[in-house]
Amino acid sequence: MKPDALRGHLDALLLATLDGRQLHGYAIIEALQQVSGGALDLPTGTVYPALRRLERAGHVISDWSTVGGRKRRTYRLTQAGQKALHAERSAWREFTTVIDGVLGGGGKWAQT
Amino acid sequence: MGTDVIDRYVTDLGARLQGSKKQVRDLLTETRDSLEDATEAHLHRGLSEDEARRRAVEEFGPVREIANEYQAELAVAYGTRTLIWLAIVLPLMHMAWEYGRMLLIGPWQDFGAMPPSWYLFIAKANDLASGVASGIALVALVLGRILARKYDTKLLAKLAASVAILAVGVVLLGNVAIIAATAHVDVSRLMQSLPMTIASLITWTVIIRLGLLARRCLSCATIVA
Repeated sequence: MKPDALRGHLDALLLATLDGRQLHGYAIIEALQQVSGGALDLPTGTVYPALRRLERAGHVISDWSTVGGRKRRTYRLTQAGQKALHAERSAWREFTTVIDGVLGGGGKWAQT
Repeated sequence: MGTDVIDRYVTDLGARLQGSKKQVRDLLTETRDSLEDATEAHLHRGLSEDEARRRAVEEFGPVREIANEYQAELAVAYGTRTLIWLAIVLPLMHMAWEYGRMLLIGPWQDFGAMPPSWYLFIAKANDLASGVASGIALVALVLGRILARKYDTKLLAKLAASVAILAVGVVLLGNVAIIAATAHVDVSRLMQSLPMTIASLITWTVIIRLGLLARRCLSCATIVA
């Protein structure tokens, strides 16, 4: 999938990836790639500023801890982040329902 | 050599960033961790050490593009920190100056004649300036949090820097105006007490320091392409 198409949804994707768990940056990137079967092709470096933006908005919080001898910054959702994720999911369902109604019709008008 | 690819990338990225030293260090540590993690993942997939490192750097993104995004976040963080300082320090500074004045010289002695109304207006405006500037900074902080995801980070960074400069400008203007007005009405008042002259110099040092912080905010926000 093209990076430009993903950029607008990156915040929502990150919130969804952190739902119910605490992950460090690269684990988030790996989880995103796994869930999408490798289709999410975004420069991995863009994830970190996006995480800071979510932190600034109060949707995630981060802590530094040492894991395997390396300092890791791990992220988790806040309550506001959970609410934001819920709102993102609702908006996405509504959006896909509407668009699917138009695009997913299989050319009905051409047949009528 | 393979090792150098990651080192070079992190060094190049660091050289392009401006902001709080701690914030820059944190971002670079996280970047290096991510690149090392990606390298390990590629090694497990069977790539050679050099190829794994090179691939990790490639996937991270062009250094110029990533530096730009990092810088926008650093600029907003610097702006936020400066606004917090302004919101706290400006009213404290004003209160400290007023309490200091009450302790050292007591209430202001009346002028020989009633000062002109424009003087009283400037004196009142100066009394309110630090409170107003602190309020502006607080409102900007709250709005910044609410709008964090709705507006472009680069725009928010520039707005934060502009608000910081405006807040310092309001206080600076108030202080310059009251000094100029007092000098015009009764210049001897400016040298009434040595301790108060020292307190005023401290106030000016704080204002200049805050002004430099605000200017650095703008510099951090405007190097973003």
